[in-house]
Amino acid sequence: MKIGNQAINNEAFVCVQCHYCRICPAYSVLKWESVSPRGRMYLLRGIIKGEIEPDSRVVEDFYRCTTCGACEAVCQTSIPLIEVWERARSEFVNAGIAPLPVHRKLKEVAEKNGNPYGEKREERAKWAQKYQFKNDAGILFFAGCTASYRMMELAKSTVEILMKAGVDFTYAGEDEHCCGSPFLRTGQRDIAYWFFRKNLEEWKKRGVKTIVTTCSGCYRTIGKDYPEIAEELGYEWNLKVIHTVHLIWELIESGKLGFERSYEAVTFHDPCHLGRHMKVYQLPRRILEKMGYQIVEMEHTMENSLCCGAGGGVKSQFKDLALQIGKKRINEAIKTGSGMVVSACPFCKLHLIHAAEKKIEVRDIVELVNERAKPLNTD
Amino acid sequence: MIEGIPFRDDLLERYLCSHDISTPPLLKRFFKIADVVFQPEKEEDVLRILKLAEEKRIPVVPRGAATSGYGGVIPVKGGFVLDFTRMDRFEVDEDQKILVSEPGAVWWDIEKELNRKGLSLRVYPTSALSSTVGGWIAQNGYGVGSLAFGSIAENVLRLRVADFRGVREAQNIHLYAGLEGTTGIITKAWIKLREFEEMKAYAFHVSPEKAVSLAYSSGHHSALFLDRNYIKMKNEVFDDRIPERDTLVIVTGDKMDGDETLGQEIWESRFYPMKIKRLGPGIVPAEVIIPCENLPEYLHRISKYSAGSEVWFIRKNICSVLSFLPWDERKISYAFKLKFSFKALKIAKKLGGKSYSSGLYLSRESENILENYQELLRFKKEIDPDNLLNPMKVFPSGMISKIIRIAEVFS
Repeated sequence: MKIGNQAINNEAFVCVQCHYCRICPAYSVLKWESVSPRGRMYLLRGIIKGEIEPDSRVVEDFYRCTTCGACEAVCQTSIPLIEVWERARSEFVNAGIAPLPVHRKLKEVAEKNGNPYGEKREERAKWAQKYQFKNDAGILFFAGCTASYRMMELAKSTVEILMKAGVDFTYAGEDEHCCGSPFLRTGQRDIAYWFFRKNLEEWKKRGVKTIVTTCSGCYRTIGKDYPEIAEELGYEWNLKVIHTVHLIWELIESGKLGFERSYEAVTFHDPCHLGRHMKVYQLPRRILEKMGYQIVEMEHTMENSLCCGAGGGVKSQFKDLALQIGKKRINEAIKTGSGMVVSACPFCKLHLIHAAEKKIEVRDIVELVNERAKPLNTD
Repeated sequence: MIEGIPFRDDLLERYLCSHDISTPPLLKRFFKIADVVFQPEKEEDVLRILKLAEEKRIPVVPRGAATSGYGGVIPVKGGFVLDFTRMDRFEVDEDQKILVSEPGAVWWDIEKELNRKGLSLRVYPTSALSSTVGGWIAQNGYGVGSLAFGSIAENVLRLRVADFRGVREAQNIHLYAGLEGTTGIITKAWIKLREFEEMKAYAFHVSPEKAVSLAYSSGHHSALFLDRNYIKMKNEVFDDRIPERDTLVIVTGDKMDGDETLGQEIWESRFYPMKIKRLGPGIVPAEVIIPCENLPEYLHRISKYSAGSEVWFIRKNICSVLSFLPWDERKISYAFKLKFSFKALKIAKKLGGKSYSSGLYLSRESENILENYQELLRFKKEIDPDNLLNPMKVFPSGMISKIIRIAEVFS
């Protein structure tokens, strides 16, 4: 197999094999070199040098990575590892030895329905039936697939916060498509490009200037991947993309949102796509503090945070591994002694609830904000 | 393979567990890869693997984090690789200030736990973030704290070691430290600790001569010297603004008049000596031990190769010098650039020095490195008459050491 991507060809030789990336959540559970970031880098190097030919087993271990980026945060030689993992997976797909069966199935389902959950397109906006939305506005709320079909309370909470604060916004409803994140992470770029085109077309139609999303995966994809895809495909890109925590903070700062204070102790789980991928660490904490919560940090926090275990296609293809990683994170949360772990991503919440087995309450920051929000001045 | 012991025998895992951080051009074609990778979970597992290896006459190669570059963990003749990742338990005797650790425990995990108890390691390697207790003892390295406490071997009280006859508890540390598992496989180690002490790092822009006298001026914990070439490389990679001058950093509990901010900045980068590999991508390394009085001359002589060097001062007036020459390892010229490693060793030997370690590539240097080499050779033959314990390492045999010898002559 030949690897065409130039970045991979360079970075594979920059790796010093120091193994500081042993903090990888998948490696820390499975303990085999082939699952470690160092092992994956050595494999890529071996493929480039023609020392090893990847087969199905090789590809399988490569996909046991959640693409959380913990390895990148500690890399001695500052290799952009997240980019390397995603591009390498894309190379495997192009070479016909990937994707893995479940990931392939997700793509087939998404091609048909516009989401990877296999849910009907016409039910995408079912959660929003009781709300009235404008057809066009400068700000668009992008709900994403998980909040639309699995964690609807997060979509509802976000909309209610925006309405309480008098934000002028629109929502694409059934015309919203998956952002493409699961497919970019698993190397299936072509369908992600198709979703990019569909979403961009819809946003243009509605005169959108700013996109706000509560999903960290969507935020990373639309905020970071879409501008790159636009450049690659020759589209003009001038949209501002923010996570809901940015907007909430803006509303607090401008005096449009206040809170009934709580004095509970909580711990905050940094979603990988919000934290390491997009470098947003302080804002959710500031919001929680503004609401009166006392934050007790877990052992691994912010840049060194542990992944929830769901990302990168791991939850869909390797359920046990995802659950084991999730339980490690939940145990860290329980050790803080706080009764609640708060996150800022529907996919993290979905997975952490599963891993928590009711031992600790799992909430999303938008739920807490909505429950305690007091509109102050919406003029 | 052996009931109850985790193992993998697929090509990928065998391939990935058959190298260390070295990138030897050409030589690799003479290496086999592991036949099976075992991950023993307890000492009994190690004994069962050894029994099978003896019955089938299969080489056994212990593997820690594989963060060294001397080829010590490479299964040159194939065989069983014992990856100690799962034997990583440790406990602390707080009263006696002793660490009791399995071989796979990682130094920095231990240090963090010790600090919570008001204790600290006396010495640890600059690869402590990932390297293991067993791996570092088997290499017998120097590192952080060696100015005050010497090598890791000098701080080991006792070892449990497995070989084909069973398990023995040994206080003759020299029979195992630096021997890369060729005389037995370490399954537990008792290591001396110290009280945790708040220390500060101070930087001084001084010549190598002055650095030597300052490093030994009092009972400091650690002293690290970076030459200006190395700082220049670090600046280029880290995008730092460290003054490009020879710089000594002393870490001590005493108050000194050096630059604390710069000292701390350099000290925090002590775990990242190889970051400069990005400049190649690739580095040609040279690592030697030399008497401190000859450090200035050594640095002067190797300066013409445009390498950058970092120096760790060690008690008894010796120091370890790690030099790097960035070079693209994908180029054919990389093989020729490797002569720098041999040149540096030759220069060091002329100045009363020796190689830092032997492993596979420099097994012919073992006689110079190990004071009691003949005794060790006899011990090796007694313990492992069939040469199954990490063959071709430390005790030279086979083709590799001959090829290296030829390369050395031509350099």
